[in-house]
Parts: sequence; structure tokens; C-alpha cells
Amino acid sequence: MVDDDLWSAVGDPTRRRMLDLLLRDGSGTATSLSEHLPVTRQAVAKHLAVLDRVGLVHASTAGREKQFRVDEAQLARAVAQLAEVGAAWDSRLQRIKRIAETIQRERDTHGATEKKQ
Amino acid sequence: MEYGTIEREIHIDASPEVVFDVVSSPEHLREWWVDEAEFRAVPGGAGRIGFGDRSQGVNWVRFEVVDAVPPHLFSFRWTHEEGESAAQGNSNLVVFELEPAGSGTLLRMTETGFRERGWDEAKVAAKYAEHGSGWDFFLPRLSAYARKIGAGA
Repeated sequence: MVDDDLWSAVGDPTRRRMLDLLLRDGSGTATSLSEHLPVTRQAVAKHLAVLDRVGLVHASTAGREKQFRVDEAQLARAVAQLAEVGAAWDSRLQRIKRIAETIQRERDTHGATEKKQ
Repeated sequence: MEYGTIEREIHIDASPEVVFDVVSSPEHLREWWVDEAEFRAVPGGAGRIGFGDRSQGVNWVRFEVVDAVPPHLFSFRWTHEEGESAAQGNSNLVVFELEPAGSGTLLRMTETGFRERGWDEAKVAAKYAEHGSGWDFFLPRLSAYARKIGAGA
């Protein structure tokens, strides 16, 4: 499932940091990224391959080393999914509010004599 | 706000007693969140919650009550693996704090633990999106991306 892969790709802190750096600088190579990260160039290359596989970055081969850029459409898609799941607690809390207020209104209507169960 | 934590606050026109009951009882959890809930709402009460239709197979998730102080505090951990006891690092911690406010209640919700677990949760969420079980574990950061993308477009 593509979305599972997308989630795991952004689930890793190093890869998120790499996305940060690529967004900040516009593009980067395994070498340039590894200069800002506490991992080897080889490790960065592996992470880039993961990001590439899910379409979050694209490589161009102008120059000696592959230049990577963030695919903004794919990132926007990930962001949209996250925004959706981020709204989850809001809707849960709205339901909690509705349920509690309904119970309270029923209790109030049935008079003050009714005790909490 | 710690990275990987979400916090929400909502005013409810119901007494803390009523709100406590709604956030802590398995019956009510089934109304506002899950499809199945089996646990005792007492400290240490271990059980499980489930997503999905019984006929198609319920996706069960471990659930354990950490604290229950009616009508002030209810907290639980969830998503730890079967056979593990819930602790920091293997589960998410959800804390509900209730405070009387006027004739109603101020309900504060905090969830922590996504740093290690967020994407697993998100995958469950994607699967059961209609139940709204997802988490904005790094939404703050990605919203910044979104703004950037929006500005650049």
C-alpha cells in the first residue's frame, strides 16, 4: 500500500530532518546533506533512496553527484493526510461534548432529585 | 509544547461528573471513538479497544488505565504490544483533566508518545479513517512545509 510506505518514509527522524534541509536549501546531494547530519554519506544515500521510492524526493543527475529535490505535490499529499488525522481529536472532543451535554440536559429535565449512577 | 505532543481544550456545558463518565467509561468510548472497548475504568485496569466491524474482524489494540480520579483526572496508555505492560516508549499516553468552569467543565486533553509510535498509529488511522483515529504527531512541522509550499505556489 503506497500510503503505508509514505508514512514509514516520513516516520523516521533523520529522513524528516533531510526533508527540512532539502526544503530550506532547495536541493541537496547525499554529501551536502551528510554535512548537516550525524550520519554517514552512505546512510544518507539509503534514506534518500527510501524517500525517492515513495516519491517525496526526485533526483537529477546534472553534475557529478545526484541532486535531490523535494516533490512538493507528494509532500502536500502527505501533509493533507496528516491534517486529516490531526483533526481526529477535535472531532472526538466534539462528540464527547455533545454526549456529555445531552446527558446533562436529560438529567436537568428529569429534575434535581436524580442522582448520578 | 513538546514535539510529538498534542493538546486540546474544550468547554462542555455539563458537570465534571458527567464529563468524567463520558471520557472514562467503555460504553461511552464506543460512542465517541472506538467500535469495541473492554476495560475497567480503574487505575491499572488493563483491557483492549477495537476498531472495525465484528463480522469483518476487529482490529484490537491494547489499552490500560493509568489513573482515574473522578471527576478530576482520567489517563490511559494504548497501542502497546500484546504481552507488554504499558510504559513510556511502547505506548501513547492520553490524559484528560477536568476542571469546573462556570456551570460546566473545562476539559483538557493531552496525548504524548508519537515520537516513537506516531506513524504506526497513523497507519491504523488511515485504515479506519471513518472512526477518526489519527494523530498529528508532527503536524506542526509539516504545516510549516505546507505554508512554504502554499507561499511558493
